[in-house]
Formats: sequence, structure tokens, C-alpha cells
Amino acid sequence: MKKMYRHLGWVVGAALILAACQSATTEAPPADQPPDQPAEPAGPFRIAVVAPSPTNDLAFTQSMFDAVSAIQSERGDDAIEIAFSEGMFVVDDAAAALRDYATEGFDLVIAHGSQYGSSLQEIAPDFPDTSFAWGTTVDTFGLDNIYAYEARSEEGGYVNGVVAAQMSDSGILGVVGPIETGDAKLYVDGFVAGAQSANPDVEVNVNWIGSFSDVALASEAAQTHINAGADVLTGTAQMVVGAVGVAEENGVLWFGTQANQSSLAPSIVAANQVYDWTVVLDPMIDSILAGNLGGESFAITLANGGLNIEFNPEVAVSGDATAAADDAYDGIVAGTIDPLASTGAAYCEPIRVAVVMPSPINDLAFSQSMYDGLAAIQDECGDDVFEFAFSESMFVVDDAAAALRDYALEGYNLVIAHGSQYGSSLQEIAPDFPDTSFAWGTTVDTFGMDNVYAYEARSEEGGYVNGVIAAGMSDSGVIGVVGPIETGDAKLYVDGFVLGAQSVDPSIEVNVNWIGSFSDVALASEAAQTHINAGADVLTGTAQMVVGAIGVAEEDGVLWFGTQANQTSLAPDIVVANQVYDWTVVLKQIIGNFHAGDLGGESFALTLGNGGLNIEYNSGVDVPADVRSLADDAVQAIGDGSITVDMGG
Amino acid sequence: MIEDLFAAPVIIGILTSGMRLATPYLFAGLGETFSQRSGVLNLGVEGQMLVGAYAGFFVALVTENPWLGLATAALVGALMGLAMAFVSVNLQAQQGISGIGFFLFGLGISELLFQKMVGTVETVSGFRPVHIPVLSELPVVGEVLFQHNVLVYTAFLLVPISWFVLNKTNIGLNVRAVGENPHAADSLGVSVERTRYVTVTMGGLLSGIAGASLSIALLNVFQQNLTNGIGFIAVALVYFGGWRPFGLLAGALLFSLVNSLQVWVQTLGIPIASEFAVMMPYVLTIVVLALAGQRVRAPSALTVPFERGG
Repeated sequence: MKKMYRHLGWVVGAALILAACQSATTEAPPADQPPDQPAEPAGPFRIAVVAPSPTNDLAFTQSMFDAVSAIQSERGDDAIEIAFSEGMFVVDDAAAALRDYATEGFDLVIAHGSQYGSSLQEIAPDFPDTSFAWGTTVDTFGLDNIYAYEARSEEGGYVNGVVAAQMSDSGILGVVGPIETGDAKLYVDGFVAGAQSANPDVEVNVNWIGSFSDVALASEAAQTHINAGADVLTGTAQMVVGAVGVAEENGVLWFGTQANQSSLAPSIVAANQVYDWTVVLDPMIDSILAGNLGGESFAITLANGGLNIEFNPEVAVSGDATAAADDAYDGIVAGTIDPLASTGAAYCEPIRVAVVMPSPINDLAFSQSMYDGLAAIQDECGDDVFEFAFSESMFVVDDAAAALRDYALEGYNLVIAHGSQYGSSLQEIAPDFPDTSFAWGTTVDTFGMDNVYAYEARSEEGGYVNGVIAAGMSDSGVIGVVGPIETGDAKLYVDGFVLGAQSVDPSIEVNVNWIGSFSDVALASEAAQTHINAGADVLTGTAQMVVGAIGVAEEDGVLWFGTQANQTSLAPDIVVANQVYDWTVVLKQIIGNFHAGDLGGESFALTLGNGGLNIEYNSGVDVPADVRSLADDAVQAIGDGSITVDMGG
Repeated sequence: MIEDLFAAPVIIGILTSGMRLATPYLFAGLGETFSQRSGVLNLGVEGQMLVGAYAGFFVALVTENPWLGLATAALVGALMGLAMAFVSVNLQAQQGISGIGFFLFGLGISELLFQKMVGTVETVSGFRPVHIPVLSELPVVGEVLFQHNVLVYTAFLLVPISWFVLNKTNIGLNVRAVGENPHAADSLGVSVERTRYVTVTMGGLLSGIAGASLSIALLNVFQQNLTNGIGFIAVALVYFGGWRPFGLLAGALLFSLVNSLQVWVQTLGIPIASEFAVMMPYVLTIVVLALAGQRVRAPSALTVPFERGG
């Protein structure tokens, strides 16, 4: 009986392996068909589009959808056939779709999203008789069957900025951006430049929410801008519907881009930069029909009519503003105005980065902050320039050490050990790879080695500010802290928090509990409950186990202060403020140094002063004005050095 | 300072917290007790808990019904238990190693599914505390014992039920026989394989519920490695408890109460180094085990696969 089972097991296993091999071989690309004469298509010209968001997003994807539909109406349904895959935000799904369309013999396959680049670079060579188009970009990878297209969205951004600055009474403008990359970055840079040209004293606050689709966060960002005094807003990408809604509620003006967003909020949308991709598609299609499958890049601009400024007749725009807009428009078209005072980024040169982290990348804390930082740089520089690999959940130090060594062996230029517990391992590994740059955090110790960078977060600074607000908002005079292990980053935060609280109220009671683990969520929740039972009405804590503490805080209506990442989404009713780490501030310096030839020997820090640490408030929880001003003063003072948060011994 | 510990609210806080913390250990440990009494060592409890925790969380998140989540967690845990039974009984694999394999599988798949299907850390609305009418109004005792969520009550009730089943029913007799002397049991017509299948599957089911007790009752959240070693400690507590349900209860309570005690010690600012406080539950459990003296024997056939005819 037993033997039969064992044999059965082997047979099943062998069958599975054989089946896998079979399916692998049947996935080989189909044999070439005799190439069609492209000049005389037998049937309609077939266009396929793969796009990252829905066709009704009133933004990026809709603009392309409208354009291909317009082409179809213009040339006739029997001349043009369209297939459209929307919502392809997962790049692997998009890559599969692109490959499928090419296999099915579409004439033009459009990868409408800069994130699809690396996939397209692999797919296009397999289909030499298919024409591909990729946007928004100028890069055709040197392949002769890829067209590139982009929108010079900084042009319309500039015009929008000019009008916005003219129409703002408060002199404060707010921008809700997705991720600081590509099309979005161009638009925002142009907008800022245009606003400043119209009014040099204008204040333009830019918020990159880190997502193209997080509508809730976009609405929060808009609310934050309004709270900070903005009376005109703009933004780009499909998440702006959230921002537009908030703008409408508050009677604040909106400037749109990519599509005409007037219908969303007819009373407050002043003007829109509308994309007309037909200006790019028409010459592309004609070119393909004439036999050229790619190798050229196109752009939509104000001058060629691919970009148009459409005003909303329901919103009154002053004569001055209109005149200024016309001047800006004419200047850009004529070439006398350059909307971008472009700054080349010294860190955007080819590099391969690897990072080893102790917890998951979605821990809303330590590891997530580093992952987000690296992803942001990748979006800015492009993933063909900035490549990064990561190993998460490496809480066992030996596993992490193996991973660090492997990455160095595989030739990564910069290997980041994101965890102070990795120090002794790194000290052994780094000397074996003198040509590899290592970075270790959070610490200041480079072991005196010239290929090790150190980085840290002065988390006591934001801890201090959190402490100030916490003490100001506690009624019971008892505050609870749920800490992991009394070391490194965690210790800095807690010490700073205690000092900040005591600076506001010397008699305040701050109880600190070190639960002895970075990951024991159950114990963290018990610690939080204990604090509450002991009278605390405000809590804070650090490390990824705080989700347990936040849950308990929310149940009992107790306020929470977060650190490392913005934890508002976990408990929107009780999270007051968060010290958010922006590791790009440190990463850009390290990478810039690397490209300049230094592999290590220096330490960097995130501070309130250099923008690496930011206090992000939850607009859903009210902070009394006097407390808020104490906090703002503290941020100011720490930032310019007049207060140093004294850590003592 | 130390006297603060003896204030009524503090004592009540420690006891109540201890009951909450003990719950997952009880579920997982009782399941493991049955499994080990029948002769199968299951080290995959932690993996079963994680899969149950995720499954329960996900279903509760999507359907907004924690009972469906609980049922799914139990089902998923039982399936993993079934797999472990197959591996241990039919394939006769080394039980310690295969258990670790299941642990790694459970850890990985719960992480993978969580990342792919949920992505960011989210909270779910799970089992809320239910106050038992009348009893929850009693001073002290009311708060400590009768204001918990349904799964806490179930865990504690399962202890006497398990004792009863194990010691006073035919099924329990079969389980014990199969674990002590499977050949004798076999010759008397008790199916060793079937008994072990039942206990190990049951163990998996209870482990799945243990995981759900974390993700949709106590914590109402899921995160990678949520259980953080509870499954392994539960297995250790089975040994501590002498393979008896009430022994397990004693172990789980000792461990959990000392844990809540150390949390309070820190909160009250009593000057004990945090590292030392955190060690206390583990050290004390070992000390008690060493001093308890009672040498209770493990089931004789524990970890030995059964082959008829020797």
C-alpha cells in the first residue's frame, strides 16, 4: 500500500515536469509568415493600445482612447480597426497583452505608458513586421520598428501656471502630482515655471502622492494644500478626480491637464491643457502605410496643435490673465519662452542598486520607506537607467548576509544593507568587494572603510515635534509609547518624543514600553491596551509591529502619532501626524557621489532641515491652532539649528 | 513603584490581557495535543496558523462577515492538516522535517497571497468583544473573564471539552491507544491511519482558527509573519503540559500572564531593564518546567510512522 503511494508520487511528479516542458516549448514564437506588402493593406489598418488606467479616467488613458476613436471616425470604420486594453497597471499583464496583439497580427501596437518600456524592448525584436509605438518618451531603443511619442506637457503647464498665478488671491498654489516622473514631472515643472514668471512671489506647493490611482490620497493632498492656504489647485494623472472634488467643495479653482476636466466641476475648473494624440497618430499611421515601421519620435506641442488650452466658459477669467496666457502661448510657440529651466539630475546615470531589508516592503514603516525612496528615484530616472533589486523580510541576519554577498557577486554597483543589525556582516563582506559600493543604515559608522556609506534618520527630530503636539493634545497628561527594541532609530525617535513632550509640559507622564521585537503584533497590541488602561489618551510607537497598537488605539478612540511612514490610512480618525522618511534625500547624495567616483567613507542623514524628514498631518483630525504653531515653530527651529534635540548619553 | 503593580486596575489589566494573549496558544496547542497523543508530531502549526490567519482575514475583508472568515480559516487549516496527515501516515515522511516544510510553505503562501491580493496593510472589522449578560457585570471577575470576543471564550471552553473527549470517550481512547501502542490498537480493530488522519486534520483546523483568532478577532489586521512564532511556542507548550489539555492551559496561562505582567512592569516605569522584562515569560516557563518534577512520558509512538507487521 505504502509503496504504491510512493510510486504514484513519482509518476505524478514526472508527469507534471513533462507537462511543464511541453508548455514551454509550445510557447516559442510562431513561424514567420511571409511579410505583407505594407503599402497595400488587404483589410483595415489594425491598431491595438495597451494603457494603464481606464478609458474614462478623464486623463492619460482617455486622451489616447479619444484620439484613436477620432482617427477611426475620420478615416472610416472599415479602414481602421481598434482593440484597446485598459487598466493594465500591472506591467507583466501589459507585456502579455502587447505580445498577444503582435502575435495576432495588429499593424500598430501602442504601449501607452512609460512603465512598459523594458517589456517593449524585449517584445519588439520578436515581431520585426509589426510596428510598435511607445509613450510617453523619446527613446526608440534604436530599434527600427518602434516609434516614440510624448507630450511636451510643460508647455501647457506653463500657460496654466501663468493664469493660475494671476487668478490666485492668496498667492499660494497647490499641485497634486502622482509620481515625480515623465509626463507628470514635465507638467508640474512647467506649471511652477509659468506661475513664477507671472508672479515671482507666488508660493507653489507640490505634493507627489506616490501613486497614479490613489484617489483618496489625492483628495487628502488637495485638502492639505487648501489648509495651507492655496486657493488654486492643479494636478495630473487619473487620481485627480479626488483632488477636483475637494477643490469644488471648497470653491477653489482647478486647472486640468491631459483631458478637458470641466465636466467634473463646471463651477471651478478654469482651464485645461488637452492632449490631442491624433496629431501624432496620423503621421505615424501614414508612415507605417508607406513602409516605415519605426525609428522616429513624435511630440504633441502647442505649436503643432497636439496640445490645446481650453478655457471653461463658465468660469470667468480676468482680461489680464487672458492676455498673459496669450503672451505665454505665443512665446512658447515662437520658441522665445522655454518652459523648463532644466536641471540635469546628477544621480540619473546608469546604476544597478540592490537593497536588503528586514521586513516586508508594505510594512508602512521602516522597509517601505526605503523601498518607496528607491522606486521614486527609478521613476524619475527611468528603469532603463536605474535598476534596483530588493530582498525583503530578511529578519534572519545570516540570510541577509548571504543576500548581500550574492548581490555583490552579481555585480551590483551599490548594495544597501537596510538594517543596523546587518552591521557585523557588512564589515566582513565589504572588504571582499573593493569595487562595490555598500551603504549601511541606520548608523553613522562606515567602519573606516572607503567603500561603505552610512546613513541614518535623525528621527529624534520628528519625534520631538510629535512629542510637542502630543503633549499639547493630551487631556489626561499620560502618553504611551510602544517601542520595539531599545536601539538605533527606534531609540532616537522615542528619546526625541519624550523630550518634545516635556518641553511643552514638564509634568507630563510618558510611559515607554519596549516589547522586545520588531514584529510581534500581538504583544504590541497588548502594550497599547496596557498604556490605555494606565490612563494614556495619546499613543505613539515605531517599527512594523505598530499596526497592532494602532488598531487598539482606534478602538478606544485614542490619538496616534506615526513615524517612518504615513500611517493615516490605517486609522484615519485618530492618527494626528506622522514623521515621514524620504530616503531619496540620502539616496540621491550617495548615488551622486558614486557616479562622481566615491564608493564610500561618508555618512548622510535625513533631517527636518534637509527635507528628508517631513511632518505630515492628517487633515481628518483637528490640531488646535496654538499647538500647531508650537509644532511649526519647533520644525523651524530644529531645521535652522536653533534647537538641537539633545540626545545626551 | 512595585506597589503600583498591586493596584486593582493593574491586576485586572494583567489578567484580562493574559486571557487574550493565551487564546491562539490554546487553539493551536489543543490541536497539537490531539495530534501528538495519536503519535504524530506536527511542526507545521505556525504555517497552518498563518494560512488560516490570511484566509480568514481576506474573506472577512471581502465579504465583511467575520464568521465566513472563520469558516474559511478552519477549512484552509483543515486542508493543510489533511496534507500533513497524508505526508505523515501514507508517505511516512520524517515528521519533524515535513512539519518545517509545511511551516515554510504556509509562511510563503500567506505572504505571497497577501501581497498580490491585498497589497497594503489594511484593517478588517472582525469579532468584537461580547459581554456575557449578568456575568460581565460582576466586579473584577466580570471584566477579566466575561468581556472578551467569541473566540477567546471558545478557546477556553475547548480545554475541558478536549479533556473530556480525550479521557472519557471512545474516540479519545482510540487516540491515546494509537499513540501509545499502535500495533495493539491495530490488532483490536482500531484503524491507526484513520485515527491519525482525524487528529492531524483536526489539529490543522484548530491551527487555522488560532490564526484567525489573531487576524479577525484580536488584532483585526494581517501582516507578513503575523503569528511571529506562536505556533512553535504552542508545540513547546504541549510538551510543557504533559500532553494534557489542562497542562496546556497551565502553560499557556503562565506564559501569557507573565508576558502581560512584563508589559505592565515597563509601562509603570518599574526600573527593570526592558531586555530582561521581555525574557521573563520564556525563562519562567523553562524554570517551572525544570522544577515541576513530574515526569510525564511522551506518547510512546510519537513520531514513529505506523507500518502493519512491524
